[in-house]
Amino acid sequence: MNDILVTAMGILTGLGLGKDETLQSLINQNSAIGELKHLNTIHSSLPVSEVRLSDKDMLSLLNYNPQNPLTRTTLLGMLALREALEQAKIDKDTPKRIAFISGTTVGGMEKNEEFYLEFFQNNSKDEYISLHDCAASTQDIADYFGGFDFITTISTACSSAANAIILGANLIKAGYVDIAVVGGTECLSKFHLNGFNTLMILDKEACKPFDKNRQGLNLGEGAAYIVLERMESAKERGVEPICKLSGYANTCDAFHQTASSPDGQGAFLSMKRALEDSGLSAEDIDYINAHGTGTDNNDSSEASAIKRVFGENPPYVSSTKSFTGHTTSAAGSVESVISILALKNNFIPANLNFQTPMEDVDLVPAQRTIQLPNIKHIMTNSFGFGGNDSSCIFSKII
Amino acid sequence: MAIYIQSISQISIQEPLCDNWFENPIYHSQRYVPSIEPNYKQYINPMSSRRMGKILKRAVTTSLNVLHERKDNEIDAIITATGLGCIENTEKFLYSMLENNETLLTPTYFIQSTHNTISSQIALELKCNNYNSTYVHRGISFESALFDAFLQFKLNKITNALVGAHDEMTKDIFTLYDKIGYWKKGDICVETLRKSETLGSFSGEVAVSSFLSNEKNEDSICSLAGMNILHKPTKEKLEETLKRLLEENNLTLSDIDAVLVGHSGDKENDEVYSKTKENLFNDIPFVWYKHLFGESFSMSGLGFYVGATCLKKNIIPKHLVFDSPKEILNPKHILIYNHFQNSEHSFILLSKC
Repeated sequence: MNDILVTAMGILTGLGLGKDETLQSLINQNSAIGELKHLNTIHSSLPVSEVRLSDKDMLSLLNYNPQNPLTRTTLLGMLALREALEQAKIDKDTPKRIAFISGTTVGGMEKNEEFYLEFFQNNSKDEYISLHDCAASTQDIADYFGGFDFITTISTACSSAANAIILGANLIKAGYVDIAVVGGTECLSKFHLNGFNTLMILDKEACKPFDKNRQGLNLGEGAAYIVLERMESAKERGVEPICKLSGYANTCDAFHQTASSPDGQGAFLSMKRALEDSGLSAEDIDYINAHGTGTDNNDSSEASAIKRVFGENPPYVSSTKSFTGHTTSAAGSVESVISILALKNNFIPANLNFQTPMEDVDLVPAQRTIQLPNIKHIMTNSFGFGGNDSSCIFSKII
Repeated sequence: MAIYIQSISQISIQEPLCDNWFENPIYHSQRYVPSIEPNYKQYINPMSSRRMGKILKRAVTTSLNVLHERKDNEIDAIITATGLGCIENTEKFLYSMLENNETLLTPTYFIQSTHNTISSQIALELKCNNYNSTYVHRGISFESALFDAFLQFKLNKITNALVGAHDEMTKDIFTLYDKIGYWKKGDICVETLRKSETLGSFSGEVAVSSFLSNEKNEDSICSLAGMNILHKPTKEKLEETLKRLLEENNLTLSDIDAVLVGHSGDKENDEVYSKTKENLFNDIPFVWYKHLFGESFSMSGLGFYVGATCLKKNIIPKHLVFDSPKEILNPKHILIYNHFQNSEHSFILLSKC
C-alpha cells in the first residue's frame, strides 16, 4: 500500500501529441528525426526531432489567448501536462495537496536569443525579459492550470526531468503532498544547438546509438509529465494506476563537466542504487531504456556501466533517442513515458539505425520492436552534463 | 530525525568568509554592489582558478570552507540553489553566437554555462559520487534545495548534506532587471529600504554553503527543526501550515523569538510581510537582512545564514531588528518566513540545539 504509483502521463515530442501517437510511432518504428522547420538557424541542415506544431498551433490547441507572451518550452509543457492531468482527473479544485515539479535547462533562451540585443536598444520586447530564467515555464504552466500547492524547478541538464520524478516521490513518501506531477520540458534553441555543435557531438545524419560508427546525437524537443500518488489516493479519486515507481537513484560521475568517465562510475552507481532502492535484483529487470545519446563517449561509458551492473548477459537495451532525438531536460520524463508504454503494452522499443557492434564494449541493443509476453520491470537512465546521473525503475502492479 | 547545521559560510557584499558583519555591518548606498572577493588561493589552486568564473570560485570556496577536510564520498548529498546559474558564461556564449551569426564559436563558455555546473564542480573538487542536484526556482530556489535535503534526512536516505545558494550579478542582468522594476532608481540607504515607499531593492550577490548532519556534536550551530514551501497559499493555509510546523516541534507561537523576513525595500514585496504579520505574527519581532546583503534570486540562502549566526552568537543584534530598536537576547527559535512575489511562500524553523 505504500508503493508510489504512476496514475497518468502526458507527452509531446516529435513523435506526436499524446500517448497514442507516441505508442503507434514506437511500434511502427517511425522515427521523428528529420528536418528543422521552426527554429531559425544557419545550422538547418542538422537533423533534429522537432515538434511539428508551431507556437500558434499550440496556443490554438490549448484554446488559450494569454495576456503575456509564453515561451515554446512553456507551450510544450502545457500540452503534455494537460494530457496527464486529464487522465489523472486532476483540476484546480481537486482536494489534495498537489506538487508540480518541472525540469528545464535552457528555459526561455529561445525567445531571449531572439530579442537579447533589442532589450538594450528599446523597450518594445521588455515583456520577454522575465521569461528567460528556468522557473518562468514552470510558473506559467502552474498558473495556467491552477490548483498546485507546491511548485519548483530542477535543472541538472539532461537528467532534470528524472530528478523531478525523484523529488516528487520523496515528497509523497515524507508526507508533504498527496500527488506529485513531475517531468520536464525543453524546446530547441539556437543556444542549445550551437552549444552542442561546438562540442562536435551532433551527428549530421540520424543518430546511431551504441553503433560502432556512431557520430553523435540529434537534438530533440518535447515535454512529458507523469502523475505520482499512493494507492489510497488513487482509489479515493477513482483513478486506475498504470504501474509503480519501484526504485530510483541520483548519483554524480564527478569526472568532467561534459564528458563521462570511461568506466561509467556515475552511471554504474545510479543503476546499482536504483536496484537497491527497489529491492529488485539485476536479473529482475526486463528492459533498460538507455540514456544512449549516440555520442562516442556516452554510449561506451554507459555500456560499460550496464555490463558492470548486469553482467555479461544484460536485459534488452535500447535508446529511444533514435526516435525522439535527445530531448535534453525533458528526456527523463519523455523516456519514462516511453518505458511505461513499453511495460504496459509488453514490447521492447527498437534502437533504430544500429548496424555494427561497438569494439570496446560488447553490447548489442534491440534493433527492432520486439513483443515480449510479460514485461515486469524496466529501468530508464538519464545522464546529464556535469555527471548528473539518475535511474528510475518502473514495475507492473501485481 | 534531527538535522543540525554544522557549519555555514558566505561570500557576499559583507566581509567574506567571516561573521564580521555581525558586529560591524557595511551599509551600502549604491544600487549595484558586487561581492567582496576573498583571497581564493587558500582554497583553489591558481591554475584551476583561472578557468573558473566568479560564481564557481565562490561556490567552491564556501563549500571547502564548511567541509574542512571532508572529501571522497563522505558527503551524501550536494544540493545547490541558483536563480540564474553561471549567467556570466551564458552571456559570453550568447554574445559570441549573436555577433558572429552562429559561427566561430568555441565550447568553453557553453561547457560552463549550465545551472548545474556549480553543483557538478563542487562534486568534482570533492570527488563525490553521491546525490547531486540543482534547484532554479527564482526566489524560492534555496528553500527548494534545502527541502530536498530535509526530505532525504526524514526518509533516512542521507546522513549529511552540503546545501548551497549561489548567484552572481552581471551588468547585463542588472540592466535587464532594472528595466522590469527590480531595482530602486537612485542611491539607497537603510531608512529608504525600511520605509518601502517605492518599488525595487538594491542588487547583491550570493554565495553561501551550509553543511548539515543528523549527528549533533560540539560544532553544531543550531537545528533545522522543520520547514515547508507553499504555492499561492490562502491566509488559512499559511496559518494551518505554520501551526502544524510548531506543533510538530511542541512549540507555540509565543516560543518564537523572532521572524526573519525578506523585507527588501520593495513596496509590493514588503506589503506581503506586513500583512502576514497582522494575520499571523502579532507582536513577534521581525528581523531583516536584505538591507545588508541586497536582493538576488537565491538571497534567502543568506537569510538562513543570518538566522543560524544569531542562534550561534546567542543574540540578535539591534541592526537586524526591523521594528524595534532593541537587540534580542538568547533567542531559542527563529522562524524564517520568505515569499517570492506573493506566489511562493516558505517557513524554515531554526532552533537552538
